[in-house]
Amino acid sequence: MKKKYIYFIIPVLFSVFVQSCNDLTVPVTTQITSDVYPKDSAQFVASTGVVYAALRGNYAGDYYFMTTLTTDEAILPARGGNWYDNAGYLKMHYHTWNPDHGGTSTIWDWLSRIIGYDNQTMYILNNNMPAGNFKTRTISELRMVRALAYYWMMDMYGNVPIVTTYGDFQPKAKSDRKDVFNFIESEIIACLPNLSTTVDQTTYGRPTKYMAYALLAKLYLNAEYYTGTARYNDCVTACDNVINSSKFALEPASTYLQMFYPNNGPQMKEFIFALPYDPSFASLSGTNGNMYHARYDVPRSEKAKFGIPFTPSSAENTLPEFYAYFYDKNDVRDGQWLTGLQFMNDGVTPIMVTTTKKGYDQFYTGSDGGATYTYQVNLTPKVVLRQDSSLFDCGNDEISWNMGYRNIKFYPDASSTSRNQNNDEPVFRYSDIILMKAEAILRGGTATQGQTALSLVNTLRSNRTTSAAWSTVTLDSIYNERSREFTMENWHRNDMIRFGKYEGKWGFKVNADTYRRIFPIPTEAMAKNPKLTQNPGY
Amino acid sequence: MKQTPILVKEVKASLHLKTNQTFRLVVVLLFGFFCATSGLYAQHTQITLITRNTPVSEVLKMIEAKSNYHFAYNNKLIDVTRKVDVEATNEKISSILKKIFENTDVTFKVLDLQIILASSKEMGESVNNTNNDKVTGKVLDDRGEPLPGVSVLIKGSKQGTVTDYKGLYSINNLPKNAILQFSFIGMITQEVKVGSQLVINVTLQEESKGLSEVVVVGYGTTTKKGLVSAVTSIKPEELNKGAITDVGQLLQGKAAGLNITVGGDPTSRASVILRGPSTLNSSMEPFYVIDGIPGVDISLVAPEDIESIDVLKDASATAIYGNRASNGVIMITTKKGKKGVTHVSYSGYAGIENVTSTLNMMNASQLRAFATQTGQNLTEDTGANTDWQKEIQRGTAFSTSHNLSFNGGSDHNTYSASINYTNKQGIIKTSNENNIIARMTFDQMAFNDKVKIGLSVANARTISDYVPQLGEVLLQAASHLPTSPVKNTNGSYYENFNKSGYFNPLAIINYNQDQTKNNNLVASFTTNVKLPFGFTYDINLSYQNYSSLHGEYYDSYMYNYNGSVFYNNPNPPDTKSIVTFGQGGTALRNSYQTTNQSLENWLTWNKTFGAHSVNAVLGYSYEDDIYGDGFQATNINFPVNTVGFNNLALGNYSAISGAKVDFGSDQSYSKQRLISYFGRLNYNFNDKYYLQASLRRDGSSVFGINNRWGYFPSVGLSWRAGQEKFIQDLGIFDDLKVRASYGVTGNSTGFNAYTAQFLSSSMGNFYSNGSSIMSYGPNKAANPDLKWEKTATSNIGLDASVLKGRLSFTVDLYNKNTTDMIYWYDADILLVPAGGLYANGGSMNNKGIELSVTAVPVKIKNFSWKTSINLASNKNTITSLSNPYFVGGDSIRYTQPDGSGQTGSTLQIRQTGHPLGQFFTLIYEGKNSDGISQYLGKDGKLTINPTSDDYRYAGSPQPKLTYGWSNSFTYKNFDLSVFFRGVYGNKIFNVTRADLFRPSSVAFTNILVAAGNESVKDNNVYKYSSRFIEDGSYLRLENMSIGYTFKRPVKYIESLHLYGTVNNLFVITKYTGVDPEINQGGMAPGVDSNNFYPKTRTILFGLNIML
Repeated sequence: MKKKYIYFIIPVLFSVFVQSCNDLTVPVTTQITSDVYPKDSAQFVASTGVVYAALRGNYAGDYYFMTTLTTDEAILPARGGNWYDNAGYLKMHYHTWNPDHGGTSTIWDWLSRIIGYDNQTMYILNNNMPAGNFKTRTISELRMVRALAYYWMMDMYGNVPIVTTYGDFQPKAKSDRKDVFNFIESEIIACLPNLSTTVDQTTYGRPTKYMAYALLAKLYLNAEYYTGTARYNDCVTACDNVINSSKFALEPASTYLQMFYPNNGPQMKEFIFALPYDPSFASLSGTNGNMYHARYDVPRSEKAKFGIPFTPSSAENTLPEFYAYFYDKNDVRDGQWLTGLQFMNDGVTPIMVTTTKKGYDQFYTGSDGGATYTYQVNLTPKVVLRQDSSLFDCGNDEISWNMGYRNIKFYPDASSTSRNQNNDEPVFRYSDIILMKAEAILRGGTATQGQTALSLVNTLRSNRTTSAAWSTVTLDSIYNERSREFTMENWHRNDMIRFGKYEGKWGFKVNADTYRRIFPIPTEAMAKNPKLTQNPGY
Repeated sequence: MKQTPILVKEVKASLHLKTNQTFRLVVVLLFGFFCATSGLYAQHTQITLITRNTPVSEVLKMIEAKSNYHFAYNNKLIDVTRKVDVEATNEKISSILKKIFENTDVTFKVLDLQIILASSKEMGESVNNTNNDKVTGKVLDDRGEPLPGVSVLIKGSKQGTVTDYKGLYSINNLPKNAILQFSFIGMITQEVKVGSQLVINVTLQEESKGLSEVVVVGYGTTTKKGLVSAVTSIKPEELNKGAITDVGQLLQGKAAGLNITVGGDPTSRASVILRGPSTLNSSMEPFYVIDGIPGVDISLVAPEDIESIDVLKDASATAIYGNRASNGVIMITTKKGKKGVTHVSYSGYAGIENVTSTLNMMNASQLRAFATQTGQNLTEDTGANTDWQKEIQRGTAFSTSHNLSFNGGSDHNTYSASINYTNKQGIIKTSNENNIIARMTFDQMAFNDKVKIGLSVANARTISDYVPQLGEVLLQAASHLPTSPVKNTNGSYYENFNKSGYFNPLAIINYNQDQTKNNNLVASFTTNVKLPFGFTYDINLSYQNYSSLHGEYYDSYMYNYNGSVFYNNPNPPDTKSIVTFGQGGTALRNSYQTTNQSLENWLTWNKTFGAHSVNAVLGYSYEDDIYGDGFQATNINFPVNTVGFNNLALGNYSAISGAKVDFGSDQSYSKQRLISYFGRLNYNFNDKYYLQASLRRDGSSVFGINNRWGYFPSVGLSWRAGQEKFIQDLGIFDDLKVRASYGVTGNSTGFNAYTAQFLSSSMGNFYSNGSSIMSYGPNKAANPDLKWEKTATSNIGLDASVLKGRLSFTVDLYNKNTTDMIYWYDADILLVPAGGLYANGGSMNNKGIELSVTAVPVKIKNFSWKTSINLASNKNTITSLSNPYFVGGDSIRYTQPDGSGQTGSTLQIRQTGHPLGQFFTLIYEGKNSDGISQYLGKDGKLTINPTSDDYRYAGSPQPKLTYGWSNSFTYKNFDLSVFFRGVYGNKIFNVTRADLFRPSSVAFTNILVAAGNESVKDNNVYKYSSRFIEDGSYLRLENMSIGYTFKRPVKYIESLHLYGTVNNLFVITKYTGVDPEINQGGMAPGVDSNNFYPKTRTILFGLNIML
């Protein structure tokens, strides 16, 4: 019998083999996994790109609409049913948006996406990157992008959930605005020592120490509104940290407008932090990533004048209430507007349009409505809802398309082959530091370094206009100056709220609900995160 | 099988010693039967034997040694000591035997591998006559044929005899009150009190169907009576007949609970759902195991090569395949060689296929009349009257098949080989499928027959010629104006590109090509080692390689199409995409291969201790799978169109501005590994009480690093109540068994193998130090917690057989709960920036009852009728769609057919408390006084301007009942089978009809004749709504086959069977579409959209020859 046991050697041997085959690890050889990427410095840089592509995402488009069309800066009425778009722009203008409004969910998603990708990228880099200065700086830059996104999120939605890690999929409840404020402040302060002080092409588009100070200044300037506690002295200090670096300077009047041209970039000495746009950039999926200002603002009749390859939609224009700030004929900033009779770039050739009488005026009742009609384009300041005021519609004829003054600050890009433009968009400019410091002093902060509110404003104005310097400065005049200086730069909503003007009347708006200083939590976001609660009033 | 001769000797001895004879004889016969169920007769086996002056017993031994035959005889009756001379060269055994027993009273009868020698004198006569208590008689089977070899035993003694070839027996020395026991393998043992009878004739009844039939289960076999789980075994003769190349189609309607839908397109596969959909994943199909090799593609099996199919339905049967078994397991066994029997057989058929049903579109005169009547102007009327549906069809599609196989074996090896060729034309022009399947198996015994090694290789090569842009071709054929001609007078195709989206479907068919060549190879090497103490050990190594070579070519003609684009027009839930045609012709080629390598080994212990018997299996399996290993390339701008896709190098895309090569998906390749440990214990007491318990521990690399291993237990009990005396005393049941089981199975398929990991891809450009850099990052979230989807099934079953096996039935009740469903959940972007991820969550329930009844209502001498019916009812409910972390998933509306003017309209909703595929749409409420279709609004009022807010629940596509009813009749050598099947109680959303229901658009497109009764003013008429939801119940005469068998028509032909078969003879339904058989698998069951493919009827003639 003993011999029989020998037979069992086979399965026994086999089970030994089996034990050695208990490994489920399948090396992934055909995909970019986190085991193989990112591994070197070029790959670390490339992996941070996701966050920057996300950041650029909806800033020049949807965020611009949300911060501009909700103010007196611009209006986007329907024209014969075109651009009605489910009353989206109407609700922005009237201040009647609700949690289902497309804009409110697009911005929520965009900011969430920046934060989400930022956390995810940091999670990967923390695992993959060797410790050292490069890592410390890269991570600090990502934290600053996250702080900026949180700043916008807090500014737009008030109380928002704070998520700082990737991998915990438990839904997060909202934090109080005050706590979000403190979180942003602490993040900036924590990152400051690690951020670069170099201001050139190598740091363009990335957060530097000065971007951090600028964000801090913005936070402190609005602190009283956000938290009830004034932080004006802190704002002045933050501004001084930028001013004292001497890395930035105000553009003279002669080059102010060029600052926003398609070829702008790291050479702009006023740019503390800008988002680079380029028509050749592929967008991050889920975001827009494009820069489309000419599409909305340039009259359809001026395609040739600006040499753009497409016929612009021409749907957006400013309101007389806002254009009223541009009364100084000597101010270089007037040059960003198209008003009145239109001429080609030589300044003398009139821009003519040939249409029919009916095409010029859809309400023409004469029997010769089909007769040819040629006229020189003449932009009129007011928007009149001629066709249907309930549908926010001024009609679909030449009169309608010429309503409203047009902004071409982000100058049309004749070199692009699409609607997408090459103009980079500044988030923080040096002039903002100057005006923030001036405003902070006016609001109770202590003047420093011999710079008073008046001297600061006049320093700026001397680079914008040849008119005489101001002898006095008030909060209102600072507000007006900010309106001129930062037109179409996405800060006007923030300014209006801080100056208490957001509930004012302009255009066709009558609603004055103060709860609309923050937007509602979008329905879809509440569906995806059951812990979210709706903002008061909505 | 070396033991068999030894046993024969023992039989001889035992008869001599009159000990234990019955049992051993049965064993002999049993072996005999297992060796050859239908073999050649000894008369045909030729041997050479030369011997002088040798006792008969020795001669018989020599014959045994030179053949596979064994002799059974009683040496008291037959004088085997007589010495004989034999001189035979290549002589038949029968003639040798004749010579040996010339001038004796010994006769012989061949019973498969047994040769029974008998004395023509009554057996008892040669035995000592101790008294006169003698009984003689005849034993017959239930068809009145004599039964030789029946053991006749005096109950309680060891004394007995065997019937001779005439079924006659004689038995002496009967004690008082003797009871005779008549037993024969496969027959019910009968006992007869002798009393004063002198002649006792007995008719033995067949044992209730298949109780001792072998059933293939995972890692072993069992018998029907030993089963504790719900398994349906299907024999080849029960499979569907016809020009069928798809195993799914063979099984349609044959097993209760198996819901199989087959579309009209022959190049598309059947959808197979067992006991209702149990997942939201794409993988709802059962797991196939072919000859013990798990995960083999079923295209490798030619229908003619199938020996048996076992459908494992409940978890106690499937849990041994743990990780991949939650949709059920289908075990396919192919024909194998048998010792001592050489089979050569050929089967072939030729069939013709004709269209039975197409859409009833208007012809030219109907359309003109309707246009005139309604004040519409046809945008084109050249005076033609074209039936576009007919134009794209072949008048008759032909199919042919040839299968040649041979198998056999000797004492130490068996082999089988077959080659199968099938060519099947589709009914739409150019579509064709051509298969060649070759299969070979060889088993060799070694080391004193302790080790059996086997090699099996099969290769299937398929060339599928598809209709290029089939969806668009069918749409154009249905909607093209009949007033457009097919060709211009110069012979070129007539086109009118001024009409948007208007293309000549015949031009699309004829100018383009779409072909896939698949090659599928599977090879396995098996080793079975007999170990001492009842242990056996098995190792299986297998390799499978599935490769495809696909090509598409779009002629330069297509570039002239307006915009050089059109929509591909697929069936939902696939979404439309734009097909762009490049200048100078567009060619696409891709080649991908999938390989699976697996190693499985297990140790089996089989032991019987008195009434206790134990079977235990302990095993390990390892599998590496690689999917999508290959590449794709495209090119455009070819100098000629004649090379098609065959030479990509001839194109010149770089000369065309903006042209790019399409390299296909960057995530086609994936590799995964599965490792499993499994054990199973079967215990039975006295063939009455059965217990089975199994546990499988499975690991899969596709899951998150934290949750790769899962446990899949099962337990099953059965009680053969029919063996209990109190049941037997009732005298009702021949067999009665109660079963109960519970088990858990898993699902690890239906999503990418790297789903749980971070995979980076290009994520947009950004500015970095003066340059534009492409950023790379994860485009989806890693889910390190992704784990098994689990399905727990409880099953209660009852098997019963009454009326001496003439009526048997099986009932199963089951409750199946799937939890932790793996599904794409929308997530908070703040947490998961990609917007969602594959995660576990949600649950689904299927409850059902299955009944199958088999009866033999008539069985007389020349005629028999056997009928069986199976019924299954299943109720599917989504019980949850939530996930602890992500809420996205519930109340999602889906299936968007994108009919013209209906973009955004959805048909179905995925919602807790409702079945998968729940229809959710507008409720049609007739027409208002202006003749406009009106719908039930959200507020309960009628509206003619409905929106998606007004959607309501509108029926379920899940059938209430599926059934199949087969009948087979034999009369002498004729056989007839008739098979009906159908479904009841399901709804179909007839989107095809809605899309062709546009009376106001006849200027541009053709419409259904039925739409001619509608008002052209009714702009709602075509709106997807409950109006287009129809009852999908049907009854189809699936196939009817009549055949005749010639037994030994000529010398070398064993049998010849000729038959004719008709498929789809008729269908009874109220459904208005082409055919009510609409795909019931996948996420969008029961949606008839773009279902223009004509339904056909096949008539074929075939023959099977066995040599």
